[in-house]
Formats: sequence, structure tokens, C-alpha cells
Amino acid sequence: MKLYELATVLRSKSAGPFLNTMDIFFDRDEPYKRVRDSGVLTKELIAKLYKIRPEDVRGIYFVDQARGIKITVPKPSNVASGDPQCRDLYGASFYIPLLDVDIP
Amino acid sequence: MKEEVCVLSTAMMGDSLFEENTWREGLNQNPDVIVAQGTSSDSGPAYLATDALYGGSLAIKRGLRKIILSAKEKGIPFIMSTGAPSGGNQQLEKVLGWVDELAKETDIKLRIAVIPGELDKEYLKEKLRKGSRMRRVVDVERLPEYLSEKDIDESEHIVAQMGPEPIMAALDLGVDGVITGRALDIALHMAVPLKEGFDKGLAAHMGKTIECSSLVTVPETTDAVVAILKKDHFLVMPTNPKSRCTTISVAAHAFYERPDPTLELNPGGALDLSGAKYEQYDDRTVKVSGSRWIPKPYTVKVEGAKKVGFRTICVLGIRDERMIRQIDWCTEQARKHVEAHLLPLEPTKDYELLFRMYGKNGVLGEVEPVKETRSHELGVIVEAIAPREELAENVCELAGRKLLHMDYPGRIATAGNIAHPYSPTANNLGPVYTWNIWHLLDLEDPCEPFATEVRQFG
Repeated sequence: MKLYELATVLRSKSAGPFLNTMDIFFDRDEPYKRVRDSGVLTKELIAKLYKIRPEDVRGIYFVDQARGIKITVPKPSNVASGDPQCRDLYGASFYIPLLDVDIP
Repeated sequence: MKEEVCVLSTAMMGDSLFEENTWREGLNQNPDVIVAQGTSSDSGPAYLATDALYGGSLAIKRGLRKIILSAKEKGIPFIMSTGAPSGGNQQLEKVLGWVDELAKETDIKLRIAVIPGELDKEYLKEKLRKGSRMRRVVDVERLPEYLSEKDIDESEHIVAQMGPEPIMAALDLGVDGVITGRALDIALHMAVPLKEGFDKGLAAHMGKTIECSSLVTVPETTDAVVAILKKDHFLVMPTNPKSRCTTISVAAHAFYERPDPTLELNPGGALDLSGAKYEQYDDRTVKVSGSRWIPKPYTVKVEGAKKVGFRTICVLGIRDERMIRQIDWCTEQARKHVEAHLLPLEPTKDYELLFRMYGKNGVLGEVEPVKETRSHELGVIVEAIAPREELAENVCELAGRKLLHMDYPGRIATAGNIAHPYSPTANNLGPVYTWNIWHLLDLEDPCEPFATEVRQFG
């Protein structure tokens, strides 16, 4: 299944002007654990989707008590929020590349 | 020590309607303090560099009226940060002017402790000269690792995000309330609980939970929320009778706009939520415990914005699919045309030309997974940035005009290629800014840079 079919909330936002952070929440334990335990959400995959190096992925966190997953990455091309070349001040559209990730 | 502290939390950023019925619900909980956060760096450096206000004057005035008059009525203090969003002195003074108008109009006298968050450049430079090393908050190449006097000079304005200590001290001055400039959101919520001797980890986590008011409820509304802090836990509940707090909605808020969901650095310590426990206390209330404060050396985040040039934009639409299919080729021709025109005059090419193509990859840029546009029309913003406004204007005009009359392979309409919604077609948007200071200042005295002034209104 696609990640968007399993998640209840899939969102992104700036975490300060230099980082984007993506949050994924689930309404039940089953889909949450399915995604968490799938091994799909790796630094390598995130790097590929966000056009960065795996070592630049700031963190992938699984928080069981919130049934939530957080992924934090640098903003693309070293462009900060509000910079002249900025495309998305609040980073609110950067969840899009995650929607279609296949989860076995 | 008191048994509990009750905090009524709202926001001053223009979202809240302060609907009377739900606001009353909050006041009926007999809060010890009304708190409203109203500063943020999220909206970008331009707000700090200029006197621009975010959220609109009408919304801020509405918030001031509700919060100040309700606090007066209940005989409790209010604590708010304002001057949205940057919390710079120019914005803060505008808001204080409205506080005075409100006091005069409603015929009340107000004694308010005002704590600006803006820093004097000389103060910061003196810190450096005395050996202070200010390290960047985030390791990104575009920020200098350590701050220099040059960076300070280049900033238009500089603010620091105060912690709870200056607010705690201000509450002792016999005032009706405290109004700050740039502040850490949770500093506002923590001030009263810390004065009363409550646990710092819980007070900080309570602040985190209610700082954006009803973002922590389902459904989300713009109403205030209430938190009750006790010795070893806190309770959080909505004021809107139709909303609930659930363990998930509360736990999830710890994710909001922060890089790490379980650990966050704050002035004087880190908030560790790895052992936090969320329980459904009743249908609409969540009980939170297990939050931990890890003491660290005291630092405040310093933010500065510098000017990097001027911007001119031309907004245009393209409807012909023949041109849309070849849009990358077309923009490349426009770019070459500008270069050819300006090369004799501007050999250093001291400008930037951007084509923002909405309908193709305008939002996500290089991260866009869809490679071929499927749109029958494209919205394009031709944008030029240059050190001088005249140059930005010329770059934008030349590029826009070339797109209008360019001959491309397969072209059928030879009179003009694009639809201009505006005349003039190119418009100057003024200076552009960037964050150039995002650094940590070590402080022995958390109050040192924040001079409190007690002011009378009305």
C-alpha cells in the first residue's frame, strides 16, 4: 500500500528556517507498526526523495506513544525560509514526495 | 506552595476570533494567568528587517481587548509576546500604541511591564570583544560557524528569544501584566508556574502543549485551551465544548515545527519527552506526566536579518500547449537574451533571474516527483534579484518581454505568447533579506539583555 493510504495525517513544516520536518500519524496501532517495522523509511530512501545525501538526513524518529513518525531534512539547495530563492516559506508542501512511498 | 496553577492559553497571531462563549468557558476555569504568544521567526527575515506586522492590525487589537479586559475583570495577570511576527521594537511599539488606545477608550489605567527582545548591536559586539563565542544553532554551511562583528553590522535588526526569567522578574513589579517582544513561546507559559515552584520539565512541556492553543484539540478550532499544572502532572483541555483533547492529539503536538519530537534545547536546559506519558483523564481532558528537564548552560537564540538586494517580479500566464511543452527551452532563450543585453553593461552578471513555474515545478522545484507537466496552462513568475533596484527592473523587463515575443519551434500565434494580468507588467517588490544571524548567546544572567520598563497606559 501507499503511505498516504495508511496514514491519517501526513504533513510538513519548517523546523526553523533551515530544516523541513515531516510528520506522519496513524489512527490505529496496526498501520503505524506496519510502517515502522517495514524498514522502508531509511535515510537512503529519504535522501533519494529529497535530493540530499543520506548523511544529511537529520533524523527519522518513531514515537510509539503518539503513533507518529518524524523525518527531518535540510531545506533543498541550502535555501532557507524567506531567502530570495525560497519556494515554500513554511515548508508546508514538502510532504508530497512521501505520499506515494510503497509500504509492503 | 500552591496545589495547582491554571493557565488559559491563546495566541496573538491573528488566527483567533476570541468567540465570546468559548472564551468565557476558559475564564470560568478561574485561570491564574492568561497567556498569549505572538512572535515567531517562521514568516521569514523580511519581518525582522522591516516594520511589517503579520496577522493584521484588526486581529491584534481584538486580541489585546479580550485578553487585557478579561485579565482586569478576573484580577489576574496577562503575559503576552507581541510585535508579530518578529517581535522587533518597531512592531512592539505599534502594538503598545494600540494598548494605550484601548486603555483610553475603555477608561482604565494599566501598569504593564514591557520587555523588548531587540538587542543593541554594540551590546553584542562588546560580548564578542570580551571573548564570547556565539555558535550557530544549526549546522548549515550558509551560516558562519561563529558570529563576527561584521555579521552584526550587516544585520538590519537583531532580536533574542528570551526565556522565562525576565518575565518572572517583571511579575514582581506590581503590574497588571507583562508584554514582551521576541520571546520563546513556552517562556510565557512557564513564568507563573516556575515562580510558584512547580517542576521545570512539566512546566516546559505544558507550555509546549498549549503554546498554539487549539492546535492540540480535535477538531482544531481557533479557541483558547486550558492547562492545569500540578505537582507531578498536568491536565490539558479545550475551551470549545465541541472539541476534545485526545492522547494522540496531545502527544502529536510535541512534533509540531520541531526537528526532534522527544528532545528540545531551550534556554538553560533541554526538554526530554522520551519518558512522557499521555493518559485520557476524561472524555475531553488529557493527563501528561514523565516530562523531564535536563539542565544545561544558559543560552538564548539570537536572530538577525540582512539585506541582500532588490526584487522585481512579472506575473504572467501561458495557455498555448505548444509553448508549455517547450517552456524550459523558452526560459533558457529569455535568459540568454538578458545576458546578451546586459553583458556590455554588467559584465560581472551581478543579478539572479528566476522563473517560478506554477503548473510545472513551482512549489517543489528539484524535489518535484512529477517530471512532465500535465497542465494546459502555466503560471510563471519572472523574478529578478540584484544589488540595485534599477538592475533588477531591467533584468525582469527584458526577460518578460522576450517571453512575450519569442519565436519558438512550432509556434502558431505570432502576435504574442503570454497573458499579462497586470499593468505595469513588471513590479518592484523592494528589498529582499536573508537570515544571517541564527546563533546562541551564552548568558550568566538570563535577564541581562532584556531591560524591563514599567509603563503606564490610559
